[in-house]
Amino acid sequence: MAVRHKSVETKYMEQRDAVLRGLRWLDRRSFLKAAAAAAGAVMARGLMPPHSFQLIEIANAATSKDFGTVGHQGSAPFRIAYISDSHLYERTLNQRFIRAIVRAVEDVNALDPQPDFVLYGGDLAQLGTRQQLDLGRQILAELKPPVKMMVGEHDWFLDLGDAWQEMFGPPNYSFDWKGVHFVVLMSVHEKDFWTARHMTPMERMRTVAGLDNPIQSRFEVGEEERKWLAADLAKVPHTTPLVVFSHSPLYKYYRDWNFWTEDAEQVQALLQPFSQVTVIHGHTHQMLFNRIGNINFYGMLSTAWPWPYAPQGLPPLTIQMNRADPFDQLDGCGDGQFMMRADGLVDTIYALWDRNPVSVPAGYLLSGGKSDRPPAPQFASY
Amino acid sequence: MHRYQVALLLAAGGLVSSAGMAIAPRVLNAQQPVAHHPVPATKNGNVVVMLCDGKTSLEIKGLKPGHTMTHDQATAVARQLMQKWQRAHPGELWQMAQEEGTQMRPTTTEQGNPSPNLPSAPNQPPSGEAPNPVPHPANPVQEQVQGVPVHRQAQPQQQGDTYASFNQRDFRVWQAETQKFVEYGKRVFHSDKLLGGTIGVSCDMCHPDAANTHPETYPKYQVQLQRVALLRDMIEWCIENPVKGATMSPNDPRLRALEAYILAQRKGVPLNYGKH
Amino acid sequence: MFRVRIIWGLLLLGFISIIVARAAFAGPDQSNSPLASPRPLDQVGFPHELYGWVIPPDNPQTPAKVALGKQLFFDKRLSEDNTEACASCHKPDKGFTDQQPTSDGIHHQFGQRNAPTVLNAAFNVLQFWDGREPTLEDQAKDPIVNPIEMGMKNFDEVVARVNGIPEYQEKFKAVFGGPATMIDIQRAIASYERTQVSFNSAFDRFMAGDQNAISAQAKRGWAIFNGKGRCMSCHGWNPTQPMFSDNRFHNIGVSAHKSNFVPLARKALALLARGGGAQQLDELAIQTDMSGLGRFLVTKDPHDIGGFRTMGLRNLLVTQPYFHDGSQATLWDVVDHYNKGGVQNPFLDGGIVPLGLSEPEIDDLVAFLATLTSPEYLSAAQVEFRKQLKLSRTSRPQRDTAAAMGQLGRNGPGFEGPFGDIGPDQNQMAENPALLGGR
Repeated sequence: MAVRHKSVETKYMEQRDAVLRGLRWLDRRSFLKAAAAAAGAVMARGLMPPHSFQLIEIANAATSKDFGTVGHQGSAPFRIAYISDSHLYERTLNQRFIRAIVRAVEDVNALDPQPDFVLYGGDLAQLGTRQQLDLGRQILAELKPPVKMMVGEHDWFLDLGDAWQEMFGPPNYSFDWKGVHFVVLMSVHEKDFWTARHMTPMERMRTVAGLDNPIQSRFEVGEEERKWLAADLAKVPHTTPLVVFSHSPLYKYYRDWNFWTEDAEQVQALLQPFSQVTVIHGHTHQMLFNRIGNINFYGMLSTAWPWPYAPQGLPPLTIQMNRADPFDQLDGCGDGQFMMRADGLVDTIYALWDRNPVSVPAGYLLSGGKSDRPPAPQFASY
Repeated sequence: MHRYQVALLLAAGGLVSSAGMAIAPRVLNAQQPVAHHPVPATKNGNVVVMLCDGKTSLEIKGLKPGHTMTHDQATAVARQLMQKWQRAHPGELWQMAQEEGTQMRPTTTEQGNPSPNLPSAPNQPPSGEAPNPVPHPANPVQEQVQGVPVHRQAQPQQQGDTYASFNQRDFRVWQAETQKFVEYGKRVFHSDKLLGGTIGVSCDMCHPDAANTHPETYPKYQVQLQRVALLRDMIEWCIENPVKGATMSPNDPRLRALEAYILAQRKGVPLNYGKH
Repeated sequence: MFRVRIIWGLLLLGFISIIVARAAFAGPDQSNSPLASPRPLDQVGFPHELYGWVIPPDNPQTPAKVALGKQLFFDKRLSEDNTEACASCHKPDKGFTDQQPTSDGIHHQFGQRNAPTVLNAAFNVLQFWDGREPTLEDQAKDPIVNPIEMGMKNFDEVVARVNGIPEYQEKFKAVFGGPATMIDIQRAIASYERTQVSFNSAFDRFMAGDQNAISAQAKRGWAIFNGKGRCMSCHGWNPTQPMFSDNRFHNIGVSAHKSNFVPLARKALALLARGGGAQQLDELAIQTDMSGLGRFLVTKDPHDIGGFRTMGLRNLLVTQPYFHDGSQATLWDVVDHYNKGGVQNPFLDGGIVPLGLSEPEIDDLVAFLATLTSPEYLSAAQVEFRKQLKLSRTSRPQRDTAAAMGQLGRNGPGFEGPFGDIGPDQNQMAENPALLGGR
């Protein structure tokens, strides 16, 4: 057969692969140069990279009555993208997880319109080494929108946050954007289980990295940070929409796997006075949503692998995602978007790879599951 | 016929392997080789079969290795073997398999409340040389040994070189060995190194506490393999695919221990083969 | 019983070889060829259970209906200018395909899709490459009215033409009790197509216990098929459904060669939104560049972009060329395509990864695929195999060894991580499924 025509898309993917291959030996400067060249090659043609195809907008517009309507509070609806739980190893060990986060970066860069910013939901690294974090930083640097970083336990427990804070700054902070108050928490503090056991930093890290490792303590925001949160929120009127980013779920789902925040009730109490509150969390690697009091909770997907649903404690409002097919390395993984609505609530899109995206409007949680119900899975978790 | 099922199967096993099987549920740890019980040789090279106690053996006149018996002959041999055992253990009760669904092992139960009819007297074997029917304690004494319910045999007739003579220490040993095996499986399950993985992936990363491994649903049609699979087929598949390691030999202690750990995590879940 | 079948198979084989030779000179109309006749169900490997499930209750097989369907299948009067019959693109001697990349319709117009075989189409869960029709009955009507296939204006015209032929009046009355209707035409054609079942291959005899039915090389290939090659994940075989297809839709990157999916998908959505029904869908699939969107045209689900139905593998040496656009000439090209992990595109199926197959392994795999040939096509397949083998020694357009082996090769200097998600030792099989054949 004759040499076949290569589409722009194929060429783009080849260039992307070349960049990825380059990760093997390039230093950061050369990597960025190569990455920019690849991206530029596409942009120069005035073409969108392939992931710009966003059918969900059509689907969402059809199903969600609220999204896109003019808000009664005067703030414009906007979009936040997220990438979470990439669990990067060193580039020489595992490139499957690298390819997954690169795919997510491309997804986000291709959104049209672009999100106002991107939340990185924590667990950038698998074992918290400087190399792993730096690799993640290089890849996330390719994101076109601004990035808000959040820390996860896999980023933290090797050096108790030294490298991460050096690269990304303080782990808890707040900011205001288009009338919404955003708080980013460091919610994966653990009580000291390592000193008495004479653990090395890597032993400590590996202990925390194991979900079913009973030695570690439960996650908590901690008294000090709760004080900081109370002081931060004291300045914000209770009618201001509030969005809290936290790596751990900020409620108690399943203790044995640390799908759990020990001081969840105290943190929730600080959020209850606000009229519109959304908590967005990582760590659980699955479609997960909940409502407690007036707080809507959404869990984020992982780019690396899906967790099974825990044997107990699944919030009744959660509609499970279909059981993942291990043959398909992308199945059950993905990224997603939050649609900040004019009324201050958040609709969520789970952009599951190799599947249709699932839209979970705030109305579903508000109605206690009566309306806007997402589709049920064919095969629920065991 | 049901009464002879167990003895017959054991005798047949001896025929094939020329070695009896130990009656005790000998738990193998990772490194321990399987025990063998060689049968005594005969002058004229006839096949010798051994009972699963590892001691009682019987020469089958006229049967040379490599030849097979008819079903009726095998039944008769099994019967003779049992009679020999019963002669050597007068007054002791062999726990015959009664009917389908009846547990063979009489000593421990999950609830610590053994079914009173469990070790009931066997029906009279047609041979006539039946053991004395032994009345069974209506309320067997229970005691806890480190969380393991133990059925203490109160009847003196039960004492002897059989199941009935096992004591608390035996149970503890068995339990400890089983636990060690499962613990080893847990280590393998959580270690990409022991699994032989090449990309830092271990089982627990997708299956904390072996969740979503559903060992109780095997055998079932496994879409990834496009055939009916056993649990260990899927373990092998996972080692080869997500873990990116080399598949293990069926006798690999790591594979056996992984299976043990996964099954141990689902203790108490009813078997439900073929479930999707 | 089994021995009887073998003898029967050998007899058939001899008989068929003569017929094949004769068919080659029989001219364009092959309706009298024995290859066009309904085939016996008593074939080694025939899935009797499955066959029972796929005959629709409202269209039972009867000899008279099958004969009528056969006549319609070969009748050029079903096309606008009396030049094309179903059999024009589904030729019995070519495995009920036309062995062209895409098909030649009225006025020599070419569509976008490779003609799939009728052989064993009875067992497909959905019909066409994109599954846009659920049954053989529904499928049969579309090409008749497709403007560049058989070109009839509409179904009324088809019915009128059939009813205008005295011979058909008689037969429809006998079979269906009245004048022809469109649905009865479809039913008759579908009934005939359901008689084209083709098993009895060397592989089937191997699976039935004949260890000598296939070569050692093919046995190695069967192991690769089920192991390192990952073929069985979509092309799985089992005795209940021995069709080598999961009947699902996968983007393996074939149309990424020449499609820009995103703008195409937008364009297709805009067109489909106006609503044109099955006929519009058929025309988009056959006549436009939107063909490459595959299953997406039917479902409009983004994950179906570029997805096409998993084709069964039986008799694939007489149904070349390969893939939905007929873009690959040889089985080596097909294996090369998979070996390098398909063609990258954003909708590529997550199960398509580089395989790391070596050249001998590729040869083994192709040798296995060749055993899926039914005896009636054996000599034609042997010719084709030799042709492809020769071609593959000089031309391998899809080969990309670096990609297949994980970019730099598994054992390349300093390469510690498997780029292409290739395991270190996939040659080791937990169990060689070839041993299944010995049971």
